[in-house]
Amino acid sequence: MNKLEAKITQIQQSGAILLVDAEVDGQVFSALLIESATNPEWLQIGHSVNLVFKETEVSLAKNLAGTISIRNKMVCTVISINKGELLSKIEMKFNNYTIGSLITTRAVNALELIVNEEIIAMVKSNEISLMC
Amino acid sequence: MDPTFIETLLLTGKLAVFTTVILIILGLPLAYWLAYSKFRFKPFVEALVSMPMVLPPSVIGYYMLVVYSPRNWFGAWLGETFNLRLAFTFEGVLIASVIFSLPFMVQPLQNGLRSLPDSLREASYTLGKSKMTTFFRVLIPNIKPSIITAVALTFAHSIGEFGIVLMVGGNMPGETRVASIAIYDEVQSLNFSTANQYAFILFAVSLILLTTIYSVNKKHDPWKTI
Amino acid sequence: MENNIITIDIEKMMFTANGKLNLVVNTHINIGELVALFGQSGAGKTTLLRILSGLIKPDKGIVKFGETVWFDSSKGINISPKERNISFMFQDYALFPNMTVEENILFAQPKKSREDALELLAVFGLSEFSKRKPSGLSGGQKQRVALARALARKPQLLLLDEPLSALDADMRVALQNEIYQAHKLLGATTIMVSHDLNEVFRLASHVLCIEKGLIGRVGTPDEVFSDSSVSGKVQITGQIARIEKQDTINIVTVISGSNQIIKVIAFDNDMENLQVGDSVLVFTKAFNPIISKLM
Repeated sequence: MNKLEAKITQIQQSGAILLVDAEVDGQVFSALLIESATNPEWLQIGHSVNLVFKETEVSLAKNLAGTISIRNKMVCTVISINKGELLSKIEMKFNNYTIGSLITTRAVNALELIVNEEIIAMVKSNEISLMC
Repeated sequence: MDPTFIETLLLTGKLAVFTTVILIILGLPLAYWLAYSKFRFKPFVEALVSMPMVLPPSVIGYYMLVVYSPRNWFGAWLGETFNLRLAFTFEGVLIASVIFSLPFMVQPLQNGLRSLPDSLREASYTLGKSKMTTFFRVLIPNIKPSIITAVALTFAHSIGEFGIVLMVGGNMPGETRVASIAIYDEVQSLNFSTANQYAFILFAVSLILLTTIYSVNKKHDPWKTI
Repeated sequence: MENNIITIDIEKMMFTANGKLNLVVNTHINIGELVALFGQSGAGKTTLLRILSGLIKPDKGIVKFGETVWFDSSKGINISPKERNISFMFQDYALFPNMTVEENILFAQPKKSREDALELLAVFGLSEFSKRKPSGLSGGQKQRVALARALARKPQLLLLDEPLSALDADMRVALQNEIYQAHKLLGATTIMVSHDLNEVFRLASHVLCIEKGLIGRVGTPDEVFSDSSVSGKVQITGQIARIEKQDTINIVTVISGSNQIIKVIAFDNDMENLQVGDSVLVFTKAFNPIISKLM
């Protein structure tokens, strides 16, 4: 799984749904959560948390144009491409973090990805979990 | 048949039966204690019990004669209090035989108890049973092959004992003259046919007893199956 | 309050295959609860059970059942197992080989009743074996006899040392229900050693984790095994049954506490300290699962 250290900057609530904003190296990420009966004590502004998301939820884009609904975008550099028969794992550098993405080998070929290339990795807000 | 021949055989049998009965009564608690006690000097007691297996019968026989002698305080006390003389009597031979056959009774019993899983005893205790109940209802029934071995070995060994009986009992017909002594005596008198009869009977009885032990132990290989 | 709890505050040096380990336990158990002792082998679970039964004497401390003192090193009190009104089910069952199944049960009864013994055997599906000796039984049957015998004593404290380890999955579930029923029926306190998360979730109302001789996490199975440090709303605990490497990923099969099989994709960096048999938390967000009615 991918893990980014972040600090909670804003919590917006509507009914049982929470939208949590957290900063990673000055860049804001948002995570969509469902309220618990007792919200854990670490879920408050100013607290440090880990943003956790699975490699399978990371989409990749090259020369992205137009607008897109996905809020969480990371500008990364490709470190390695590990091509399997159907699935490939891409490792990228985002600031000081290593981010992994699992996409189909077809998609890797269509993107014509190469090592050291700049790429945008994207994760939907509802795919990010918080972990203390 | 010659009445002294019958008398000698009966005396031999009586000595073996008495020895075995006394030893099973003494041996079971002693084996229990040796199997489970955490007493610091237990190895010393174990060594003492096993001494008859390594010492020549004449050594033990000598000490017993010394103890039995009216000049020894114990012998004197026995004589004065009970009017009992042990040297060269059946009682004296019986005590010597009990001491000398002790390891043959205790060791199989002790090994039998040790080979039982501890959990059997513990299960009985946790089910609220006393040590006594556990001993008689759980331990003893589960070491039957060891008991049979111990009894047969003790019996066979006391039938065949020669040296200590000769030392302590001598060769008194009807009192201390058992078959093994008789053989020696008859051979000394060049009376080979009688010696041969005794020898054959001892040989046959011992063979039958040992065959019994081995067939019993073959049938019970109990701790593999639970 | 005092008379409703089992107080345990003991120390015992254990001599294990991996050297010395000091068992230090200071906790209490509510009387009437079904408690699981959970932890790796060699952590001290069985030793603690044996201390409670009186089979092992702690180096120091106190064991109290309600107001009754079972052990108190400062006062030199050590009540024998016989006087504690407990039952202990051993890992090796410890059935008496010289007695039939029925005699084993009769032996355990505080008040002999053949009728009760036969009824108990019927409950455990052992009626047809009542005249057999333990050597004629399968592993699972022996385990059931051992459990039935432990119950026949009608103890106030039932101690089970990995009671269901020898059984296949179906039998396990059936006997888990029986242990639960028996626990309810007796109204006894039950303490059970288990490595098996399924068992713990299914049966226990309270879990004591023992790690290297010390009490770790304590609480209900949910409190102990669910992780509130994760925001994911779908949390499943289970044990890894299989790890298959495929392409660039691993497919991990996890058997959950309710005996359901879950497959999870994991990456090499996730797998670093995971292996088959490990207890794990599988979580995802409330947004991802799709729900549909069962036919």
